[in-house]
Amino acid sequence: MNVIGLFTMFRREAKRTLRVVVQTLVAPTISAALYLFIFGTVIGTKIDDFAGVPYVSFVFPGVLMLSIINASFASASSSLYFMRFTRGIEEILIAPFSYLEMLVGFVGSAVVRALMVSVLILLAGLLFGAVSLVNPIGFFLYVAAIAAIFAMLGIIVALWAESFEQLQVLNTFVITPLTYLGGIFYSITFLPELAAQITRLNPFFYFADGIRTSMIGYSEANTTIGILVIAGLLLILGTLVTTLFKRGWKIRA
Amino acid sequence: MSQPMLEIKNLRKIYDSGKEEKVAVDNVSLTVEKGAFFGLLGPNGAGKSTTIHCITGIAQPTSGEVLIDGVDVVKDYKTARRMVGLSPQEFNVDFFAKVEDLLDYMGGYYGIPKAARQARIDELIKRFDLEEHRKKKFQKLSGGLKRRAILARALVHTPDLLILDEPTAGVDVEQRHELWDYLRELNQKGKTIILTSHYLEEIQELCNEIAIINHGKIIKEGTKAEYMKGGKSVEQTYLEITRADDKKETV
Repeated sequence: MNVIGLFTMFRREAKRTLRVVVQTLVAPTISAALYLFIFGTVIGTKIDDFAGVPYVSFVFPGVLMLSIINASFASASSSLYFMRFTRGIEEILIAPFSYLEMLVGFVGSAVVRALMVSVLILLAGLLFGAVSLVNPIGFFLYVAAIAAIFAMLGIIVALWAESFEQLQVLNTFVITPLTYLGGIFYSITFLPELAAQITRLNPFFYFADGIRTSMIGYSEANTTIGILVIAGLLLILGTLVTTLFKRGWKIRA
Repeated sequence: MSQPMLEIKNLRKIYDSGKEEKVAVDNVSLTVEKGAFFGLLGPNGAGKSTTIHCITGIAQPTSGEVLIDGVDVVKDYKTARRMVGLSPQEFNVDFFAKVEDLLDYMGGYYGIPKAARQARIDELIKRFDLEEHRKKKFQKLSGGLKRRAILARALVHTPDLLILDEPTAGVDVEQRHELWDYLRELNQKGKTIILTSHYLEEIQELCNEIAIINHGKIIKEGTKAEYMKGGKSVEQTYLEITRADDKKETV
């Protein structure tokens, strides 16, 4: 295992993240703080506690998940697409990385950025009194797993895209709608039964529920199904990305 | 007889765009002995860079075999890649990264521990006279400095086989001569070097073995002395051979 090589990839992405800090760290933190202000201070104070916690604590895990997804997806997709664009990817291709190490390197780099964003949003959440952590290990595992899933989707999009505009397609038409419809701002108990059933088919519902369970201890989804969905996606996407790297799709002539 | 540094056996590379197939390298076989300074010549689009890409992992051979010191670049690619350093024709870097960071990342990718990496970077920065530029972004460098930075990056993991694809393009005469001195020094220390260049006086100056590739095929391979037989320059012989081959191709 090329451990030094992998840590170099993580370090490089962390440095790249800090190079464009307004775009990568400041903007998501401000967005999250605005959500918390609106749902905590403006609307939240008019709503009764839900599931034994203030409304802001109920929505905070969803806000955090939204930021993790965006950070991870943007990191992997923009980093790899930029490397394709400048041919900087050749630095990785000629280096002694196995295809699995390439996967770990790119995914790990995106997870690093997602964790940096998470820490800042947790700090913002603390200011609004929205943070509780009933299961810190579970919380870390959910955050890392969800970040890894969206990093792999980002890699696939970065390999597929032929323009900067195409990088946004999946985010605009799939990720954002499914995130907002995944119960990040509301409980599915507020929904009619049919809508609740449909929500249960949305994998994003299980992502938000996993983080929420680990933070406030309240769950609306079947945890076993949630873990299986996350593990299944990690396995399927991991296999797909490794295969694409092995074939050199769009990166190796 | 020791193991050759590079052995290419019946290498073929076909680019398939989906609409048409283009044979870029057609049944190329080459042997480069350890310690050689090997010139690979050919017109634009002849297959030089594609051959280099197949050696280094940037391209996947369609068929054939490439061995670096006996190690197959496809089957045991991780071992093979540790032995090769590449200075490519086009600048394949993050243009916003600092010079010293580019070397640091590359050294890290090759698994060099921090202390050794830092010492090596300092050595290369000094050797290539990049001290005052080490904190500058790559994009801010002149063409010649960019070439030096890229060459330093290729050497960061002290490879046994150094491949230089047009390393002096855009470099002024003085710097070119300095670079030649450094390459000679590396070669004398035992490094095997493969050089492609459109400056044929550079090939004549540095190389002891030369091959010409045209239309994806090796059309001549020999020592520099063979190319310079009868008082000809390498350039004269090159032009004679490629023109004759082009005529044959047209017929």
